[in-house]
Amino acid sequence: MSLEIKDSIYAPRVATITQINALTSTEKQFKIKIDDTVERSAFNFLPGQFVELTVFGVGEAPFSIPSSPSNKEYFELCVRNIGSVSGALHRMEAGAKVGIRGPFGKGVFPYDKMRGNNVVIIAGGLGMAPVRSLLLQILEERQNYKGLSLIYGCVEPQSILYRDEIEGLRKRNDIDVKLTVDRPDNNWKDAVGVCTNLIPNLEYKPEDTFIVVCGPPVMYKFVIIELNEKKYLPEKIFLSLERRMECGVGKCNHCHVGNKLACVDGPVFSLWEIENLKEAI
Amino acid sequence: MLYKVLENSGLKSLLAGIMSGYELIGPKKLDRAIHDFSVIKDPSEIDLSYKKTTVPPAKKLLFPPSETLINYKLGEKISVTPVIDARQRVLFGVSAWDLNGMNFLDRIFSSDYPDSNYIARREKLIVIGYDAEPSETNFALSMGAEYASKGFDLFISNLGSRNFIRIATATGNSIINSFSNATEASHDDFVAYNRFMRNYRKKFTAIADMDQFGESYEATYNNNALWDKLAKNCFSCGSCNLVCPTCFCFNVRDDMMLNLKEGLKSREWDSCMMPEYGLVAGGHNFRSTRANRLKQRYRCKLKTFTEKFETYSCVGCGRCVEACLAKINIYEDISSIKKEVNV
Repeated sequence: MSLEIKDSIYAPRVATITQINALTSTEKQFKIKIDDTVERSAFNFLPGQFVELTVFGVGEAPFSIPSSPSNKEYFELCVRNIGSVSGALHRMEAGAKVGIRGPFGKGVFPYDKMRGNNVVIIAGGLGMAPVRSLLLQILEERQNYKGLSLIYGCVEPQSILYRDEIEGLRKRNDIDVKLTVDRPDNNWKDAVGVCTNLIPNLEYKPEDTFIVVCGPPVMYKFVIIELNEKKYLPEKIFLSLERRMECGVGKCNHCHVGNKLACVDGPVFSLWEIENLKEAI
Repeated sequence: MLYKVLENSGLKSLLAGIMSGYELIGPKKLDRAIHDFSVIKDPSEIDLSYKKTTVPPAKKLLFPPSETLINYKLGEKISVTPVIDARQRVLFGVSAWDLNGMNFLDRIFSSDYPDSNYIARREKLIVIGYDAEPSETNFALSMGAEYASKGFDLFISNLGSRNFIRIATATGNSIINSFSNATEASHDDFVAYNRFMRNYRKKFTAIADMDQFGESYEATYNNNALWDKLAKNCFSCGSCNLVCPTCFCFNVRDDMMLNLKEGLKSREWDSCMMPEYGLVAGGHNFRSTRANRLKQRYRCKLKTFTEKFETYSCVGCGRCVEACLAKINIYEDISSIKKEVNV
């Protein structure tokens, strides 16, 4: 007997790519709209959550959502052309159909708890994508937060994501933006080196400061050393972990970090949790 | 729980009765030393003297090595159809440790996001347990898995001339009432059952010393010399995962049919011992060494779920010990780990 069921956790919702923008030579931004209006209105995400995106016939991969949670009509994904699914996505054109599962992840950037505090966002490379959602959320209700800083490091100026948007932020007087690159070009006027170098200059006090970190695995170790040096509190530092994920729903087990699963317990963890997971960093 | 007794002669008619209404899957001798659970055509095919089967029976039925999860049709409008194949079946003669392994999978697949594919099959599976003979590498007693307190409809313990039957569900009760003349267990039957279990437990000769293992594991976490030594012979072949009743890692893949209009999403077992297990796009591997992968396997089997489900995920069946080409032995490794922090 073969039974058809409607509520499989593995069934993607059909969605349309409505717009594609090249952000750099390797990253594109995809604007995605879920086709079914009921499913679309049920799709509510929090900063730090991710979706599993299916390119039909190719495969499925997890991507963090970089757009604002308050936008209910569509969401965006920032995708580096690096694997089979992301490669297939990069070859697609606006109008193409994809499958979406999610949003997933119970571990998110707790923007509600951050209200009334300073917030420092530290991003490296592609790590800008997951934290952008938080940044946009905070900017939408800026009056609820104290100081706001963005520290963003990339290999070179050409690899900075959302560069126009970030330059635009500099015109505001309620956010401090610090950029740094490893390999500057002749026009580069900002810092040179890794983003870790910019942490000692932070003037916020530990008791009312939340720190959010997202970047390549190698970056975390050094950022944490600097944050500890400044006595920022482990329970107020949040990091998003990348792991291999096949299912996104706590079943396939690939994203084990100690006794936690990055997909359901994370992908965002507090530093306190991470220090107790040993193999996280 | 109801308790009844059934004469040995009544067992045969019980099986014949079950076969008249259900597909029956039971232990069958395939070769001199090989047993496997497969579809039973005649009750005489069942051999309850089996000590082990290479593949755990419940997992094979509930979470097959590969299965289609979703079918889809491409075109103007894309249709996505979840697929599950669930049939009513009776699994007969499954050991307590394999039952406990199934109980673990039940929790994995029903917690957080319930897995409809597994659950649909599980709901249709009638389970009849049996106190099978432990093999010489079986350390289920150390893992508290030599006795099953749930997960079955019926559990049969052979007391010699008669069978002591624990009835856990209405389905089990209806099977017993329909196909047997089992009678209420008497006080003497309970006495005989308790004596049976005391002697049964003596048959488990392999021991895993689990006292304070969790702390010992944490204490040796950064002892690279120890973990390199434990993993140095590992071939990363994944045999231990394939035979494990509680391993549940899988990969999800998409495939297109040759007409390029229809496709499917399927899953297949994966192995945490293989180098690709922690590999992500871009080439970073979160579990690039054998030592790290073995350490993670032992954590998953012996510690992770004591924190999540208050149970080990290892049931001590000993299959991985026998399947390992490099003779890696989990209960010996438990001792080696504990020796490092011995008081």
